[in-house]
Amino acid sequence: MEDQVCPRCRTTKYRNPSLKLMVNVCGHSLCESCVDLLFLKGSGSCPECNVPLRRSNFRVQLFEDPVVEKEVDIRKRVLKDYNKKEEDFTTLEEFNDYLEEIEEIIFNLTNGINTIETNKRIDQYKKENRDTIMKNKMKVGRTEIELEELLEIEKQMDEVRKMDQLREEVETKRKKMKIKEAMIDELMFSQGDAKDIVNTFQSNLEEEMKEQEKIPDRTTQFSTGIKFGKGSSEFAPYFKIEEGPLFTYTPPEFVYEGPDPPKWNHLRPYLMHVRQTTIDETAGGFDAAIGCLRALQEACAGLYFKNT
Amino acid sequence: MEYKLEERWRRYEKIEFLGEGQFATVYKARDVETDNIVAVKKIKVGSQDEARDGINRTALREIKLLQELHHPNIIGLLDVFGCMSNVSLVFDFMDTDLEVIIKDTSIVLTPANVKAYTLMTLQGLEYLHNNWILHRDLKPNNLLINSDGVLKIGDFGLAKFYGSPNRIYTHQVVTRWYRSPELLFGARMYSTGVDMWAVGCIIAELLLRVPFLPGESDLDQLTRIFHTLGTPTEQTWPGMTSLSDFIQFKSFPGTPLKHIFTAAGDDLLDVISSLLMINPAQRADCPTLLQMPYFANKPAPSLGAQLPLPASLSQAKATKVGTKRKTNDPSSVVQPKRLLFDTSM
Repeated sequence: MEDQVCPRCRTTKYRNPSLKLMVNVCGHSLCESCVDLLFLKGSGSCPECNVPLRRSNFRVQLFEDPVVEKEVDIRKRVLKDYNKKEEDFTTLEEFNDYLEEIEEIIFNLTNGINTIETNKRIDQYKKENRDTIMKNKMKVGRTEIELEELLEIEKQMDEVRKMDQLREEVETKRKKMKIKEAMIDELMFSQGDAKDIVNTFQSNLEEEMKEQEKIPDRTTQFSTGIKFGKGSSEFAPYFKIEEGPLFTYTPPEFVYEGPDPPKWNHLRPYLMHVRQTTIDETAGGFDAAIGCLRALQEACAGLYFKNT
Repeated sequence: MEYKLEERWRRYEKIEFLGEGQFATVYKARDVETDNIVAVKKIKVGSQDEARDGINRTALREIKLLQELHHPNIIGLLDVFGCMSNVSLVFDFMDTDLEVIIKDTSIVLTPANVKAYTLMTLQGLEYLHNNWILHRDLKPNNLLINSDGVLKIGDFGLAKFYGSPNRIYTHQVVTRWYRSPELLFGARMYSTGVDMWAVGCIIAELLLRVPFLPGESDLDQLTRIFHTLGTPTEQTWPGMTSLSDFIQFKSFPGTPLKHIFTAAGDDLLDVISSLLMINPAQRADCPTLLQMPYFANKPAPSLGAQLPLPASLSQAKATKVGTKRKTNDPSSVVQPKRLLFDTSM
């Protein structure tokens, strides 16, 4: 989605991160600001194909390719009427033919082949099958039922888990209280050293905590089929990329062909004879030492140079 | 074979047109002598005024500086030749640049990749600064990358020697998004800090994959900087108010970098924060930066061959190897359109 471009104003997603492409029934996209500009009155025509459009029909473009967007749109519209299920057919062959017909209609409409004829075909189908269409609209399909069942199971599991957790919490609290009471009893009635008693109880408690941590995690099945929870170790295959050597810094070396120029930390005596930087020069990040160092380096460079 | 000065252009055989900039057109060409692929940058003659001066200023800068610079992370100027009245520069051929890689969302940049790019940039920049040169136009677009994964700093059209105490510089340099606050406030004397700030913005962009501070105007740029990093005061940036274009901004507290770069480690956050110091005097320079723990820590920087390339390039690379196999691959034969349904549906 990075290289989305508005075909009218040529703004890209990179230049304007908040760019939103909108698409209408004709399948040509426009960015949000162009839509605002062109459809001030609420209606107008597509700048690309001149089809009259209504502003209220603009939707945010979900797919990179506006043709896909258009197809999805048409498919939604067609499937509203062509809503027969597999149960409505006697043989698989017939159902397949029916599905093929739908695909053909959608293909024709998206690519503008025989639009008028195809629309007629849809109308005819609507008339012929009005009853079944209505009936199927009322009846929830098998797949929907399955999905709902899954969701129901998920919900139940969720509740069970919550209850479990609550129970566990209450139990641990009770256990802790019991141990505490036992410890106080022990302290009250036994003759031993108080410190020893406290220590033994403490270590007992720690052991118990450790045991509790060992309780295996339950994995949850989601409707998507992905397993969640700590228990599943089947993550995507992890492949190790061979590593290069770690970086170590070595300062670059210079051949001055002359005496070694002073370093940053030896500049102080020179700086006394150099114009001090003004306040705005310092604020800009300039320092008298920079100019001084450069002048010294340049003075030293090449002094021993011999042309051989 | 020796070429006469006016016939040097014969050495380069044009392959294709690569792009056009404000001052030049760039071609991909083959060096007939060595059979290497090179990039030839033909400087436009430009206006009458410029032609009278002799040569375009940016070209002059590039020739003057690049002829003496030799570093693996600096673009190499291989040759300069003239043909008729215009000048052409011959550079190492670079396949892509960092902007392409950042924008290509199909590429995943690992922490090791980010470290490798940062390191190469800083090593090139350290060399430049050691030679008293400011680049003044660092941005992902000018960090060129070849198919071996080597990053080279390119486009020296704005580069200039620095460190003269009595020469003033223009502050209208660096693409706005990578421009440091002192430049935006109109400083006429500045130093390596301007390049370091840009590197900070580039590292941020490598992590975020979108420009870090995409200001729409110079004022908006400053607002964004102070909004994310906090408004400076005369205490944190002495002399700030005496800069020629200084404007008092509303005081923003700034956001902690940790909240912006949630995936970055502490050692990397240290690097970013020392680069994005508002006060240029506190900004780290290349040697101190390269000695920070981030670069020595694991993960080690990726080797050149492991660095990602945009899909168009890596495909081209792959097809070069296996063009023959494709012809007798049965799956490449187009099947007639037919919907197939599984009976288990």
